[in-house]
Amino acid sequence: MNRHPSTEQLSSYMDGEIGSSKEEQIEEHLDLCPACRTQLEAMERLVSGLQRVQRPSLPPDLAVAVRRRIAAAPEPYGLDRLLRRLQLHLSQLSEIALRPAFRTSAAMGLAILFSVFLLNNGLEHARHAAPALDERATVVTVQTYFGQPPLDLPPTTSEVAGREFVWLGDRWIQRGLEGKKPESHVMAESPEGRAMLSKYADLDLLLADGTPVVLRYRLATVELSGS
Amino acid sequence: MGVATASAVVHDLDVELELVERHRCGDAQAFDEVYTRFAEMVYNLAFRLSGNCEEASDLTQEVFLRIYRHLGSFGGRSSLKTWIFRIAINHCRDRLSRWRPLTQPIGEDVEEGEVSYADPRRGPEELAVAADEGRRVTSGLARLPQAFREAVVLRDIEGLSYEEIAEVLGVRIGTVRSRIARGRDQLRTLLET
Repeated sequence: MNRHPSTEQLSSYMDGEIGSSKEEQIEEHLDLCPACRTQLEAMERLVSGLQRVQRPSLPPDLAVAVRRRIAAAPEPYGLDRLLRRLQLHLSQLSEIALRPAFRTSAAMGLAILFSVFLLNNGLEHARHAAPALDERATVVTVQTYFGQPPLDLPPTTSEVAGREFVWLGDRWIQRGLEGKKPESHVMAESPEGRAMLSKYADLDLLLADGTPVVLRYRLATVELSGS
Repeated sequence: MGVATASAVVHDLDVELELVERHRCGDAQAFDEVYTRFAEMVYNLAFRLSGNCEEASDLTQEVFLRIYRHLGSFGGRSSLKTWIFRIAINHCRDRLSRWRPLTQPIGEDVEEGEVSYADPRRGPEELAVAADEGRRVTSGLARLPQAFREAVVLRDIEGLSYEEIAEVLGVRIGTVRSRIARGRDQLRTLLET
C-alpha cells in the first residue's frame, strides 16, 4: 500500500475488524511510514484509556426503584400472562394427576368424602340442595402476587413508537384501526420494511415473535410482517 | 467461530429463551435474573450517554420498565444482550433529546453528580487519578455528536463487536466502522485540548 491508510482503515485495523488482505497491506505500510505508526499509537492510547476508565458502581437503591416503577405501571399483557400462568399450573397439575399412586389416593379420598356427605345429608336432600345451573353465581378467583398491580384483565396492549397497539390474538393492531383491512402488506426485510423499522425501531419488539403488525404509515393502513 | 464457541452461543440463547418463557408465565424470579445480569451494563451505558449519574439512574429504571413490558416478545433473533442494548440506546436517545441538547459546549464541564467508583482493590491515590480520568472521559464523550458517542461507548467501553454494534444501532457495518473512527478521532482531539 503506497497511499496512507485512512483513519477509518487504521481504526478498523486496530480492532481486528478489517479483511485479511487489507490487514497485510496496512502492516506493510506501517513498517515504512512513521507518521501512520504515530497515528495508530495515539489511537491505541486513547482506546486503552477508555477501557481503563472505571465503571460507576450501581446505586444501592436502584433495584428497589426498578421494582417500584414496575409495580406502579399498568400490567401490559394482563390477560395473556394470566392465561399462560393458568396453562403452567394446569400442566403441573396434569403431571401430578397422571401418577398412579396419586390417582388411587385421590379416588379413595373422594369416595370417603362422598360417603360421609351421603350419611350426613341423605341422597334426597343432596339432590334438592344443589341449585339450578342458571341460579349459580359464577365465582372467578384471580391470583396476584405481592408487589404486582391487581389483574383486571385489560386487553393486551403495547406502546411502541408513541402509538398504542392492541393484541388481537393473531396480530398487533394500532389502536383505532381495529376492523380495518390493510391496504398493503410489507415484509420487514424489504427496503420499505427496513425504512419503516429505521423510523420506528421499536416495532421490532412487536415483530420479534413472528406476528404481523398493522399500523398507519404514510396515510395508509399497512400490515408489516417479519421474516 | 469455533465449535465450542458456537455451542456456547446456542446454549446462551437456550438459557435466555427459557428465562423469557418463565417471565411470560409470570415467574417473577426470571425478571430478577435479567436485572442481575444486565443492570450494571445498562446503568453504565446510560451514564456514559447522559454524563450524569442521577439521570443514568432514572434512565436505567425506565429502560428496565420497557424490558419488563416487552421481554415476552423477545424471539431470540439476536442475543438478549444486543436486544437490551438496543432498547437502552433507543430510550436514551429519545429521552435525552427531549431533555437537553446532546452535545455539551466546549469548555463546559459535565456535572457527573455523586458518582461512586468504589473499588476496594485500589488505594486512595489511584482512585483519585482514576476518578479524574473518568471525569475527563465523561466530559469528552458528552461533547461528541450523539452518533459518534454511541459507537465509541459501545465499542471501547462496552466491548461490543462491529457486528453487534450494527445490530444494536440498526445500521450497516460500514457505518459502524466510520462512526467509531470519526468518534475516536474527535475524542482524541477533545481530550488533548
